[in-house]
Amino acid sequence: MPVDKFANMEEKLWILEDLNMMYIRQIALSLQDSDIQKKIDHEIRMRDGACKLLAACSQRDQALEAAKSLQTCSTRIMAYMSELQRMKEAQVMQKVTRRSSDAGPMDDRLPCKGKVAISDLRIPLMWKDTEYFKNKGELHRCAVFCLLQLGGEIFDTDMVIVDRTLTDICFDNTIVFTDASPGFELRVELYSCCSEDDYSAGSTPRKLASKLSSSLGRSAGKKLRAAMEPGPCSPVSNGGASPLLLPVPSVPGPKYHLLAHTTLSLSHVQDSFRTHDLTISGNEECSYWLPLYGSMCCRLAAQPHCMTQQMMSGCLKVKQCGGDPQSWTKVFAVLKGTSLFCYHRQEDVEANIEPAFTIAVNKETRIRASEKDPHSKVQNICISNQYGGEEVTHTLTTDSREDTHRWMEAFWQHFYDMSQWKQCCDDLMKIELPSPRKPAPVTPKQGSLYHEMVIESSDDLSSTVSDILARRLQELELRSQLGTSPTWMSVFDENNPKSAGRPRPCTSRLSGHSPCTPHRLPRSPVSPHRCPQTGLLSSDASLTSDSDSHCSTSPCSHHHGWPEPPSNFSLLSSSPSRLRPRTLSLDAKLSTLRGRGYGGGGTFQCPCQPPPSSLLAPIPISSRSPRSQRSTQTTLSCSSSTSSNSSSNSEGSHSPESSEGAPFSRPSPARRSLRNLRARLDPRNWLQSQV
Amino acid sequence: MAFIPGQPVTAVVQRIEIQKLRQGDNLILGFSIGGGIDQDPGQNPFSEDKTDKGIYVTRITPGGPADAAGLMMGDKIMQVNGWDMTMVTHDQARRTLTKKKEDVVRLLVTRKSLEEAVKQSMSYPRQ
Repeated sequence: MPVDKFANMEEKLWILEDLNMMYIRQIALSLQDSDIQKKIDHEIRMRDGACKLLAACSQRDQALEAAKSLQTCSTRIMAYMSELQRMKEAQVMQKVTRRSSDAGPMDDRLPCKGKVAISDLRIPLMWKDTEYFKNKGELHRCAVFCLLQLGGEIFDTDMVIVDRTLTDICFDNTIVFTDASPGFELRVELYSCCSEDDYSAGSTPRKLASKLSSSLGRSAGKKLRAAMEPGPCSPVSNGGASPLLLPVPSVPGPKYHLLAHTTLSLSHVQDSFRTHDLTISGNEECSYWLPLYGSMCCRLAAQPHCMTQQMMSGCLKVKQCGGDPQSWTKVFAVLKGTSLFCYHRQEDVEANIEPAFTIAVNKETRIRASEKDPHSKVQNICISNQYGGEEVTHTLTTDSREDTHRWMEAFWQHFYDMSQWKQCCDDLMKIELPSPRKPAPVTPKQGSLYHEMVIESSDDLSSTVSDILARRLQELELRSQLGTSPTWMSVFDENNPKSAGRPRPCTSRLSGHSPCTPHRLPRSPVSPHRCPQTGLLSSDASLTSDSDSHCSTSPCSHHHGWPEPPSNFSLLSSSPSRLRPRTLSLDAKLSTLRGRGYGGGGTFQCPCQPPPSSLLAPIPISSRSPRSQRSTQTTLSCSSSTSSNSSSNSEGSHSPESSEGAPFSRPSPARRSLRNLRARLDPRNWLQSQV
Repeated sequence: MAFIPGQPVTAVVQRIEIQKLRQGDNLILGFSIGGGIDQDPGQNPFSEDKTDKGIYVTRITPGGPADAAGLMMGDKIMQVNGWDMTMVTHDQARRTLTKKKEDVVRLLVTRKSLEEAVKQSMSYPRQ
């Protein structure tokens, strides 16, 4: 019976697993290295926990996370095990050599260690254009993460869900390895796992599963089968070692497969972003396949300890060559990075006072011990540098022969370190540790502009939008901190008795330097396109004119009694209960959401931007009509509607930025994207954005 | 700084690293950008070639992070944190610069004076 055999196999695997764990623990014990032992125990516990979680959890994303931890733990255990074996070997070899010969002094110089940081990992994808743009077929999603290994340290990045709306896989984490030698090898592995909901087929008995796969469509069945058992693309989920050494626990759940890998070393380290090639394993038939472009972009920086730490310090006497032979300056010298810092006193170092002078110690420096000075009993050390075309030599002397020897040793070690770390010692590369801050709000996935519009979908779209507006109205009210509306606002209240009692959130969002200049036109004489708008100006003036041309309104404006608008624009009521819900076109939605007001100090500028100072005076209605007519000839333009400004602004001209005093607040992404859409559509503008 | 379609673009660039400044809920850089493949390149006052649709720095807030880092008005931004800026829309450029998760942006910028400097240093013989 196949099912029995399956169970038997499972049992055998469990037994093997336990044996392996015991073996590992024994080695650790015998080495009497408690450090590694603790780490292994910790990882084994984590691994057990991940297995249990995997078996217990029901939601797909939890399962993916648990599977990721399982993968990481397994890899870590493998790494520790190999390190253990190496240490055991070394111990045995040492015993052998000690017996055979006298332990001589270690002559080999070891280079200093350093910190290596990898950040901003980005892996571009190469979807077929039909897949990406036309969005045909079901969305094939994969969960991916990267495993980074250097020496004994293994880190994983966060998991990212990838589907065909993404052009690149981006990992935001910065991973810092603290103990790397210059000959390091940083192995980057990309694991992926198919993330379809239907394929939680781990628990399906095989017979049923094969029946299902044959009854489903060809491609779906293929995927199902591949997800259930490792097909031609067998999972190498145990770090590449033989499966028997650390068998993968047969827990139902998602399994990650190695999709691509690469190895980085010192030659790839640079202070800027570089592209590296990836070796891709797996092919299109695998369920976890993603069309990778074949390269990876990242920033790999290294900080050797010789650049960041004090390699040597002590008291010295320094004399500049060519100076008075008797003028020795007594200093406290610190060797760090590419210089020898000479301070007047030792306390200056901690006090962060500038050193008295600095002698460069870099690849072009030459240091040698001078002949025995007849005046003193110790040898001097001469440091020569080339400054411009001249050679400048400093002579150092110490109090005793041992000190001189120690300094020379330190210099030799320093030069050796610099020769080993090569380009990392030219300049100190910056490594940023990600600052702990509260988790950023979930950013919408990369995609088209419309993804940024936060409109929750529901059955009745029109009522939803009204609800959203109503809710936002309340939000705005609550958030308002600014003063009451200007007195002339009341003029416009009379036209709309219905909303007389309604609070006007937009006015409360006025920024300090420019008031709200409502733009109202008499109803009848002008074409129905003219709608009143209460927009917020300041540097957002550009945007209000757009609502002008579309007669879509912000809730601030009082449109309840307004005549029926033309077909493609509709009015949005700010009191949904009173008017029947309307279907809104996308344009209308965009403009209403935008017209509702912005944070102060808008960042959006147009060439036709008038200087804000002239916005302060309220404008009588009559003077507006001609201007508004002119400005609305370009229906989608973001030309200014602030008719307070004279026609000195020619449209299309590039006027200097005028919101110098604006605070740097930036409106929400939804509003910004709507604004951008409007402005972008006018080809006559050359947009500028403040960042 | 014109480019020939299909040919690799070469430029003398300077690396500029800007630490974003936190102001309330925002991280600001202190400069303004203009341009993009969706913009009219003829209105760019800083570009030499009026068909260049790249991203240019149009204004620097004095004393801001960009000013402190050495960014200058009129610079053309080629790369931001490894992302290309020579063939992007205006909005894409703005979004790449203002990612909330990043505290530092590393730009590659080019300006006419850099090319001049390189030419000059190559023409004068070394002493």
